[in-house]
Amino acid sequence: MTDNKSLNNPYLPDLATVQEVIDETANIRTLRVTLDDKEKMAAFNFRPGQVGQISVFGTGESTFVINSPPTRRDYLQFSVMRVGEITQRIHQLNAGDRIGLRAPLGNGFQYEDMKGRDILFIGGGIGMAPLRTLLLHMIDNRADYGDITAIYGARSPKDLCYTYEFEEWKTGGVNLVLTVDSEFPGWKERVGFVPTILSQEAPSPLNRIAIVCGPPIMIKFVLFGLKELGFEDRQIITTLEKRMKCGIGICGRCNVGSKYVCVDGPVFNYEQIKGMCQEL
Amino acid sequence: MAGKIFIALDRLRSTLDKLCSKIDLLAPASSQGNKTGPTAFMPYRSGVVPVLDRQTTLPLKKILLPQAETLLRYEYCKDPQDPLKAALSLDDRSEVRPTLVFGARPCDLKALSTFDRVFTSGPYKDPYYIERRKNTLFATLVCREADGACFCSSVGSGPADMEGSDFRITGIEGGFVVENLTEKAPDLFDSLGEAPTQDQQSEAGRIIEDVSQYRIGTLDLRGNEEAFRKRFEDNEYWQKMAAQCLSCGICTFVCPTCYCFTITDESDNLRGERLRSWDSCMFYHYTLEASGHNPRPTKLNRYRNRVGHKFSYIPEKYDGLLGCSGCGRCIRNCPVSIDIRQAAGQLKENVCDRQ
Amino acid sequence: MNELHKLVEEALPELDMMIGWAESSDPLRTTPVFINDVESISRLIWSPFCAQNLTGYLVKPPAPQPADKDKKIGICVKGCDSRSLVALIQEKFVARERLHIFGIACRGTVDWRRIMLQVPRSNVKSARVEDNFLLLEDTDGTHKLKLEDVLARKCLRCRYPNPVICDTMIGEPAVLRISPEDAYRDVEAVDQKSLEERLAFWQSDLDRCMRCYACRNACPLCVCQDQCIAETREPRWLTQRTGIREKFLFHMIHAMHLAGRCTECGECERVCPMEIPVTLIKEKLNKIISDKLGYTAGLDPNAVPPMLTFDPGETGV
Repeated sequence: MTDNKSLNNPYLPDLATVQEVIDETANIRTLRVTLDDKEKMAAFNFRPGQVGQISVFGTGESTFVINSPPTRRDYLQFSVMRVGEITQRIHQLNAGDRIGLRAPLGNGFQYEDMKGRDILFIGGGIGMAPLRTLLLHMIDNRADYGDITAIYGARSPKDLCYTYEFEEWKTGGVNLVLTVDSEFPGWKERVGFVPTILSQEAPSPLNRIAIVCGPPIMIKFVLFGLKELGFEDRQIITTLEKRMKCGIGICGRCNVGSKYVCVDGPVFNYEQIKGMCQEL
Repeated sequence: MAGKIFIALDRLRSTLDKLCSKIDLLAPASSQGNKTGPTAFMPYRSGVVPVLDRQTTLPLKKILLPQAETLLRYEYCKDPQDPLKAALSLDDRSEVRPTLVFGARPCDLKALSTFDRVFTSGPYKDPYYIERRKNTLFATLVCREADGACFCSSVGSGPADMEGSDFRITGIEGGFVVENLTEKAPDLFDSLGEAPTQDQQSEAGRIIEDVSQYRIGTLDLRGNEEAFRKRFEDNEYWQKMAAQCLSCGICTFVCPTCYCFTITDESDNLRGERLRSWDSCMFYHYTLEASGHNPRPTKLNRYRNRVGHKFSYIPEKYDGLLGCSGCGRCIRNCPVSIDIRQAAGQLKENVCDRQ
Repeated sequence: MNELHKLVEEALPELDMMIGWAESSDPLRTTPVFINDVESISRLIWSPFCAQNLTGYLVKPPAPQPADKDKKIGICVKGCDSRSLVALIQEKFVARERLHIFGIACRGTVDWRRIMLQVPRSNVKSARVEDNFLLLEDTDGTHKLKLEDVLARKCLRCRYPNPVICDTMIGEPAVLRISPEDAYRDVEAVDQKSLEERLAFWQSDLDRCMRCYACRNACPLCVCQDQCIAETREPRWLTQRTGIREKFLFHMIHAMHLAGRCTECGECERVCPMEIPVTLIKEKLNKIISDKLGYTAGLDPNAVPPMLTFDPGETGV
């Protein structure tokens, strides 16, 4: 089948195939995807934190972070929470199904600036997805970084993603602090909301970068917590999510002030967005 | 570049009849076919009554950014041997024909200077817009029809501003002088009429000079980026400015510089199209996320975003250029008489602009 | 005007907020205003330019919530607006006892687009109504227009120029311009057309629709607001395509949801930037309701609109 496609059309997705589907939680699924164009797949390069627009033709397009690291390029991995029309449709996909993909988009993490420093990941629920890509990238380049601590919380043990690789994270040199909102039978890790655990852990802001992602309410209280611990605005990095359409800085939807989350983000430091917190 | 002709009023339609056999022609007209009712740029063919004595109700943006446009077509082809397998093909071809817009106004063209930056200056370029823009010529009227809602001089333009125009149309006694301004189609009009007489030329020259002196709108709305940032969290200010707002989409749909769009798949079973269509930041659904979270849930947030986009965000990105052409359509058409000159003009504590 | 200011000032101590009309930057149009202090009372005006129906503000988000629960919301209504208020009270969207209604006897409101047809290119500096004339001052001097040539269509067929519900009445009662049996003459004129002509009429008019949804958002009785099925993607009733089918479907949804509820305040038609006579569709439905069921919307706060109830003994249909 020949495609009638023009060159250099940023709206035109590449065709891709779902290779594997993993159930993370009751409403989060992970897709492992490869581009159909083998050469393009082999040459595909991206920064941790960059995103892709997944197309299910007939339903639409939606944005997800590429949560596999650039150091592992057999496939591109996306984790999708079922919340709306398009994610519902993505959850129906099986291995072998064809989708469209526009990637990589967005800025990604400036991990070069984090080299030699201590790292604090703070993730809540599906918000762990964008942190995973950087976390694995750092594990794969472990010598470049100091202490790596990750606080990861979810409502219940059943709502934690990537449980199957927690051991790999730990053996890779990550101090992993897991928490759930309330007591559950058999749960041996921490209990409490992420901001509470943060203040209990009280990591020193000295030479440390905090990378935060989670639901807006968690971000809000984590920001308070980090400021209390003495983190400077530029030491706090978050990756934002907004409703996106074009993904290429044109359609005008995903702005926070004059910044477009799709091209100027999704990764921002707190200094860049703090005047606009009403619109997060 | 010297091409100049005179079109007598009573020969306007016959001239346009000839012109539309040379190139696709769009001219301001009413869908009712007479001089009443709302006007827009419509395909001109013999019999259409051009309405050149007032600004069109709708701007010309749909010529370059149609209200709904196909970005691509997709088709699933089932494998007859194995119905579980389907081949998927995409097609993004589109056809654009050379077009002349006759009777645009400086405010229409001013808006295109904003479009040009948004759609063509990157980091990603919009191929659909670029193709249309490349194929469209503009013959622009020297505007003498400003009303109380107009404020083109407040945004760095003016009623004789010909930036972006390929031809200038000057209304004089008994007809129009049309002159070529660019290299794109210098002889397009040449065979359509006589050269203007010396008197007609000097009359047109006088009018252009006069109109160039007009100041339409007393405020200068440029340079408000810093003032907007300071106002951003002043909820009382925005509450006052947006209290009456009905959250309808009129101001954005009649705006020549509002370009924000949505992208949707419209499917007919195994095939369908991906459409881009006008959207409005005034709508609740515009920023509503699938989770139910909405970063701009109230009209206060949404109106602030509209003003900010035009008078702060766009200028920040594009060297001070505003996202507003001063055409006044949002003011004229607002059902509750919200006047954007107030919200933008008082950012720096100025009073409302009323010429 | 002084009467309005005096009466509002008297009532202000018991009011949390007053919704009325004020001057806008255009002499031909007013803008809604929300006031809660004595100093702002002077901004309130009443004139034939006060076209907006303010009752929608009572129910559209963010609807005003009195800070003081013992206080009321004051609102200015014309005859037509008062019927919207009755409908909102009937359907329990607003509580009668929370309102202080300032009813205004109305001799018709002007339609600025009709004025512009008479004096095209006018740069109006001031405008006022005297007797049956509209006097305009612009750069060319003074224009004297006959009021009936510039009144809104709904005013030319108005049956209820005086408020049907109010606490404070302002002005002498107005008399009808038409006899009540002529109220549906515009609908009847369309009905006279052949099927093909009618189809052509609606196709040509509705084709101009841009789906800006101003008609819906200005309608005080379109209470679904942000949940309107015209915009939800799930379920997906309308596509983003621009064809007449989508436009027609939207207007039918709008009208059907208002059948027997619409009080013909004309806001949907007034706000339409494309000048589509959208109220006509609702008038047609109301005429059917009136003929078959003998019901007129927005008159009796205790009545139940026929489409909101089921009566097995119904004889009209």
